Amino acid sequence: MTAKIDTNKTAAARLRHNKIRMVKDVLARYAVTIGGTSVILAIALIFFYLFFVVVPLFKSAEIDHVASYSVEGAGSSETLYLAMEEQSEIGVRFTRSAVAEFYNLDDGSLRYREEIELPAGATVSSFASAALEHGLVVYGLSNGQAVVVKHQYKVTFPNDQRKITPQIAYPFGEEPITIDDDGDILSYIAFQNGEEEATITAATNDGRLLMTHLIKEESMMDEGMFDIEQENLTLNYDSSILDYLLMGQEQDKIYAIDRRGELSFFNIRDKEEPELEQRLRIVEQGARVTTAMFLTGGISLMVGDSNGQISQWFPVRDEHNNKVLTLIRSFDAQDKPIDKIAIESGRKGFVAADREGNIGLYHSTAHRTLLVEPLADAAIHAIAISPRANAMWFEDQNGKMQFWRIHNEHPEVSWSSLWGEVWYESYEEPEYTWQSSSSSSDFEPKYSLVPISFGTLKAAFYAMLVAMPLAILGAIYTAYFMAPKMRNIVKPSIEIMEALPTVILGFLAGLWLAPFIESHLPGIFIMLILVPSAIILAAFSWQLAPRRLRDAIPEGWEAALLLPVIVLALWISYGFSPSIETAFFGGDMRHYLSNELGIDFDQRNALVVGLAMGFAVIPTIFSIAEDAVFGVPRHLSNGSLALGATPWQTMWGVVLLTASPGIFSAVMIGFGRAVGETMIVLMATGNTPVMDMSIFQGLRTLSANIAVEVPESEVASTHYRILFLAALVLFAFTFFFNTIAEVVRQRLRKKYSSL
Amino acid sequence: MSDSQVKTHGVNMDALGRKAQQKPPEDEECSLEVKNLKLFYGDKQALNGIDMHISKKRVTAFIGPSGCGKSTLLRCFNRMNDLVDGVRVEGEILLDGDNIYAKSVSAVELRRRIGMVFQKPNPFPKSIYENVAYGLRLQGIKDRRILDESVEKSLKGSALWEEVKDRLNDSALGLSGGQQQRLVIARAIAVEPEVLLLDEPASALDPISTLKIEELIYELKSDYTIVIVTHNMQQAARVSDYTAFMYMGDMIEFADTDTLFTNPGKKQTEDYITGRYG
Repeated sequence: MTAKIDTNKTAAARLRHNKIRMVKDVLARYAVTIGGTSVILAIALIFFYLFFVVVPLFKSAEIDHVASYSVEGAGSSETLYLAMEEQSEIGVRFTRSAVAEFYNLDDGSLRYREEIELPAGATVSSFASAALEHGLVVYGLSNGQAVVVKHQYKVTFPNDQRKITPQIAYPFGEEPITIDDDGDILSYIAFQNGEEEATITAATNDGRLLMTHLIKEESMMDEGMFDIEQENLTLNYDSSILDYLLMGQEQDKIYAIDRRGELSFFNIRDKEEPELEQRLRIVEQGARVTTAMFLTGGISLMVGDSNGQISQWFPVRDEHNNKVLTLIRSFDAQDKPIDKIAIESGRKGFVAADREGNIGLYHSTAHRTLLVEPLADAAIHAIAISPRANAMWFEDQNGKMQFWRIHNEHPEVSWSSLWGEVWYESYEEPEYTWQSSSSSSDFEPKYSLVPISFGTLKAAFYAMLVAMPLAILGAIYTAYFMAPKMRNIVKPSIEIMEALPTVILGFLAGLWLAPFIESHLPGIFIMLILVPSAIILAAFSWQLAPRRLRDAIPEGWEAALLLPVIVLALWISYGFSPSIETAFFGGDMRHYLSNELGIDFDQRNALVVGLAMGFAVIPTIFSIAEDAVFGVPRHLSNGSLALGATPWQTMWGVVLLTASPGIFSAVMIGFGRAVGETMIVLMATGNTPVMDMSIFQGLRTLSANIAVEVPESEVASTHYRILFLAALVLFAFTFFFNTIAEVVRQRLRKKYSSL
Repeated sequence: MSDSQVKTHGVNMDALGRKAQQKPPEDEECSLEVKNLKLFYGDKQALNGIDMHISKKRVTAFIGPSGCGKSTLLRCFNRMNDLVDGVRVEGEILLDGDNIYAKSVSAVELRRRIGMVFQKPNPFPKSIYENVAYGLRLQGIKDRRILDESVEKSLKGSALWEEVKDRLNDSALGLSGGQQQRLVIARAIAVEPEVLLLDEPASALDPISTLKIEELIYELKSDYTIVIVTHNMQQAARVSDYTAFMYMGDMIEFADTDTLFTNPGKKQTEDYITGRYG
């Protein structure tokens, strides 16, 4: 033999042949390696990209020093208030001598100065700022009058250069508003402005608390100016030991805090009849309130005390439907008395400055302390944060002013705000809420991933509830009992179902199945009971059928007989639905559910998703489970049968046991698929992020949430990054389930490898 | 020839007390009687009318080249062929005088009475204990004491007890091939069958394990009627009392083992046992 080969092939030809074989071998090896590596690389890249987008969410704030300078008169009690304009280019300082000075923030040079006209003989006795976005401040005067002033900035672009011109305006006229007809000194003042009305409250030196309500009427003569109708009123409160006076942005409440730390909460929604709602202590025994400030939106009150604690309070409706001011959360990252709090205007963040010159950046809802740093050598006297929250400007007791840039993009995200129950403003209790946007502008986004993660698992749970029994039992029957010829038809048919685009399933589920279920609710439930019992009944009667009839059907083909049974059961369910609805549920089961049983019914609900997504998951589970059962070595089942086991005993005792790892991994992979499924849940769930296990309630899943919200989220915004985080969570979910499936499969395969 | 082979395997047959059976099988108490058994796979006939007696508490070996029908015949005894699609059986097999192919006989009950061990060790993915107890549990026996006793007895009966008594709850899959095969035999005898069918029980095992199985077969003979299919003629010569030589679906010769190997009555038999084909 060998001699023959040698004569036919020269040594050179053999060598060449060997070389080509080697090259092919090497090439193939490299191709496979490159292919495999690039798959892993691609997944790693996706993961890292998601991670890269998400990481900034969890970064702490950073600040950069820009400039330090002294300005004339700073450091004394002269400075009442600091504020900055939108671009953080110009800052304004209101002084006790009724002067508004505008500075270039970068270098501290004076840009513009305007003296506010006061009535002859009157001096400034109190000062307050309205909600930040209005730029309004009010001076309370020693003659019982008040002057409202607005700092505003005109932006022009001469020579394509941005030029900001600061101005002082008197939106309520240059004439002072008389608050106290007796002309006593206004020692405390608070003020808020709205579209149609404005309210000023003031405490006089002799202990009265006054309120002035200004109703604006647009002037006929001059656009932008108002005719003002004024009402004065005295509240029933002794303000002689008053310490802080605040008014809610909506002009609906007054908080008067006295020196003992007791807060009086007046409801002034009805301006004619202010009502004292509540009195309570808002600091611990022994502590004193050192500053108090409304957060943006005017709902939450931030109270800084002499222990360095900052507490957040807002009114919560109690069981008697009364609004009760409640301590929501507190921050204690600083331990010196908190002297000043400045609030961010677009979100619920704030800056707190303490008596030793430490400044802390916080976010209330996320309960997050982003930064605490000693920035000044002395107590902070006044502090302002820019409207975009990207710069701050403060003045310390030594008269030094500092201007800092802030990098604090995502303060509203923390572990607790994503995964914990959060007590949002105006909510009655802490809740898990996903509400990323709203039509209102002072809205606080609620980014709890819990409801959408819950929705994901709920959808997957109901889908598995439908898919698992059908797929696994079907797989067992097909692999173990069915005639090979029938199996050759059934198995590929079910596997083809997997190729059905889920968008079609979702479309059918949302537009056909959901309304159908809604109108045939009793029928659906009859079906869920009738179809399985009809199958069992049919199987049982088949056992009782005469032998001749049974022999007519070849072994393994009996399942085909079930088709008419199932069709009949479905038809009966469908046909009897209306009459049962009329007989038992007063003609409308939906109404009956919500009125009699108190079960809310959404048209797009978990039942629809369970059926539709269950349908989508069946092929996955079926196919893998069927392979697992079919792959159980014949000699094992024969071994069991040879011991006198019935086929059923063999199936339970040996086949299922041996196939269990495969069936388990089928279920896990099916679950992973259900978790990641998008189109069906997007169209069939109603996308309501509610946390309710009810089968009649809708839900929102991570995947659908991403699909719905990514197009409308601003790139690199918190919302955008949180959606990426949701994607990461989804990735982790599917990764987790698939890994478990694989690990279990590998372990059990090793265990059973000697079979 | 058999002696020299035996010696190379280190077994002294005389020491095992083996006696030559000179009596024809018909004279002994009959366990299984095969009457004109024909078997068809679809249209293809695999057994062409077999007639034979299997003696009680004796070892009967079937030998023959691959595809001769010896395994098929063995599987007829416990109706395992029923599980194969398109198999049709004609004729009768009488177990203690009753036809096992009668309509009233349940294959499940039959298989309890006629146990079987396959070529490849097939322990279930369960513990050693549960493997042996499996057959009893099938009968609905739950009493732990009965199970314990039976497991011990069966494992002792299959000469495995000493090796596994300390790890009865370990997975059976951790045993060696030979141990697994003895476990399978223990599993089969746990349900106390009347007949034990062995389908090439040692062909997947190493020589040492094979030897142990052969010794075991000899031991088991005192309690069970054993029918063994083997490729290995020396094995047949060593363990069996009677040997049937089959070829192309026919029973060519059936005689006591010594006679068949030393003085075969047919030319075909002689050709086969001297290695001229196979």
